[in-house]
Amino acid sequence: MVLEATMICIDNSEWMRNGDYAPTRFQAQADAVNLICGAKTQSNPENTVGVLTMAGKGVRVLVTPTSDLGKILACMHGLEIGGEMNLAAGIQVAQLALKHRQNKKQQQRIIVFAGSPVKYDKKVLETIGRKLKKNSVALDIVDFGEEDDGKQEKLEALLSAVNTNDSSHIVHVPPGPNALSDVLISTPIFTGDGEGGSGFAAAAAAAAGGVSGFDFGVDPNLDPELALALRVSMEEERARQEAAAKRAAEEAARQEKGGEQPSNSQDTTMTESGTVTAPEADNKRNDLTDDETALLEQAIAMSMDDPRTSHSVGDTDMSEATTEDQDLAFALQMSVQDNPKDSASQTEMTKVLGDQSFVSSILASLPGVDPNDPSVKDLLASLQGQSEAQQKKNEDKPPNEEDK
Amino acid sequence: MSVESATAIQRNQVDLLDFVDWSGVECLNQNSSHSLVNALKQGYREDEGLHLESDADEQLLIYIPFTQVIKLHSFLMKGPEDEGPKTVKLFANKEHMGFSNVSDFPPSDSAVLSLDNLKGKPFTVKYVKFQSVRSLTIFIEDNQCGGDVTKVQKIVLYGTTVETTDMKALKKIEDH
Repeated sequence: MVLEATMICIDNSEWMRNGDYAPTRFQAQADAVNLICGAKTQSNPENTVGVLTMAGKGVRVLVTPTSDLGKILACMHGLEIGGEMNLAAGIQVAQLALKHRQNKKQQQRIIVFAGSPVKYDKKVLETIGRKLKKNSVALDIVDFGEEDDGKQEKLEALLSAVNTNDSSHIVHVPPGPNALSDVLISTPIFTGDGEGGSGFAAAAAAAAGGVSGFDFGVDPNLDPELALALRVSMEEERARQEAAAKRAAEEAARQEKGGEQPSNSQDTTMTESGTVTAPEADNKRNDLTDDETALLEQAIAMSMDDPRTSHSVGDTDMSEATTEDQDLAFALQMSVQDNPKDSASQTEMTKVLGDQSFVSSILASLPGVDPNDPSVKDLLASLQGQSEAQQKKNEDKPPNEEDK
Repeated sequence: MSVESATAIQRNQVDLLDFVDWSGVECLNQNSSHSLVNALKQGYREDEGLHLESDADEQLLIYIPFTQVIKLHSFLMKGPEDEGPKTVKLFANKEHMGFSNVSDFPPSDSAVLSLDNLKGKPFTVKYVKFQSVRSLTIFIEDNQCGGDVTKVQKIVLYGTTVETTDMKALKKIEDH
C-alpha cells in the first residue's frame, strides 16, 4: 500500500512489430501496461500513473501521472510504431515528470519496457542510474524482445546503479508461449517490493492459473462472509464429531466397568429430572431379565453410534438410567459439558418422548416389557413430565439450534 | 563575539530540536543505514558511532520543517576531519527542493566550514535573513577531502521562537 507515483516508459520502436510474443510485441506490452496501471491504482487509490513513449519522433509524454485509469487506458489507443527507442532521454523525461507530481509525498518510480537494443553504453546508463538514486527514484526494468549482446549486461548495470534496498527490480522475459503480462504478474514489479501481493494481483493470478490456493475454494478477499461461514460450520461439525466420539468412548468405558447400563448424557440436562427417573428406572431395571439386558446393551451401543436417530434415541432413553450414583454424577458432569451439542438431539428426543403413544408402542415392541406394568407406567409418567420440563427449557435456547 | 563560547548557547538562544516537525523531515541522497536521524535526534547525535552518510555522491540535501515559526541564529555541524562537510548552503522557507534546483535561486546563507566548526564551533548565520523561518533546507555541496562520501556526526540548530500562539495552551471558554 505504498503511496507511489509511477511513470511507465513504453517502447514503440520498429522492433515492436515482431510476433515472437503473441500477438505482437507491442500488443503484449500494451496488455502488460494496462495490468500494471490497474494493480497500482488498486493497491492505493491515491497512487498515480503516467505514460510516455520513448521512440517515434522523440520522447513524448502521453499522460502525466494521474489516478484516472480510464484516461491512461484511452491514451494507449492509436499509438504508432516507428523510430528507435531513446532509453536515456526517456528515463530523464520520466524523472522530470515525476518531479512535478502534484502530491510530493508520493514515492517516485519509473517502469521501463526495453524491447529494442540499447545503444547507450554502460557508463552513461550508470550515471543516469546514480542520478535516479540520488533523487530517490526507484526503477523497474522489463527486458524483453531483442536479445542484443550486452543489452542484458547494460540493463543490469543500470539497475545496480539505481538500486537501494531492493526497491528496484529487473525482469527478463524470453519469448515463448506465455503472455508477457502473465509472466509479470508473479514478479515484484506487480507485487510491489514483496509486500505480499495486492488482492488484485492475487486474484489475477488465481484467475490465470485456475487454481485457488485458499481453503474451501473461496477467496477471503473476495467473499469474506462466505469464507467465514464455511470455516465456522467446519469447526462446529468437527466439534460435534468429537463430542460423539467422546460419548462413544465413554460408553465403552462404562460397559467395561460392570456391564451396568451406561448413563445417557442426553437425558440429564435437568439434574432433578434425572434423579427422579433414576429410582423408578431402578425398579424397572430389576424387572428385566438377563436376556433383556444383553439386547438393551446392544441397542444402546447402536444408538450411541447414531444419536440422531430419534427411534433409537427413544429406545435408549426408556431402557437406560443410572443405577449407580457415581455413574449418574459423572454422566451429569459430562452432559453439562456437552450440553450445547446435545441440545439439538435433546430437542428431537423431547418431541419423541412427548408422544406418549409412540413411546408405549416402542415399549410394547420390547420383549419382556409389559406396558401395563405399574412401574413402567410410573416411568412413562415421569418421563412425560421430564420432557415437558425440557421443552420449556429448550425454548430458552437459541432458535437456530432447532433449525439444525 | 567573544561572548560566544564553544558551546554557544548565548543569551536566550535555544536548541531548536523541540520545534522540528519530524513527520516532514527529509534527506536526499542519504545512505539508508546511516540516516539523518543519527545526526539530528537527541541521543543519536551524541553517539559517536552513529552518523549521517551520503550515498551516490558527496552531496546531501536536508529538509527540516518546523512546528512553528522560528528565528535561526546559528547552527553547529560536527563531522570527521576529512569527510566532514565543507560548503553548506541554507535555504529558508523553500519546500521540496531537489538537487536540480539548488542552483536556481541564491541561498539565504552559505557557509564554508572550517575544521574548528567540525569540532563543534557553531556557525552564526545572517540573522536578518532568518527572521521568520517555517522550514529550513540545508544543502551540503561538498566535503573537506573531496571524496565521494560525506559524513556528518551532529547537526544542531540554535535560535528562538517568534511569539506564536501555542495551540495547546488555549483553553475552551466555558459556555453559559
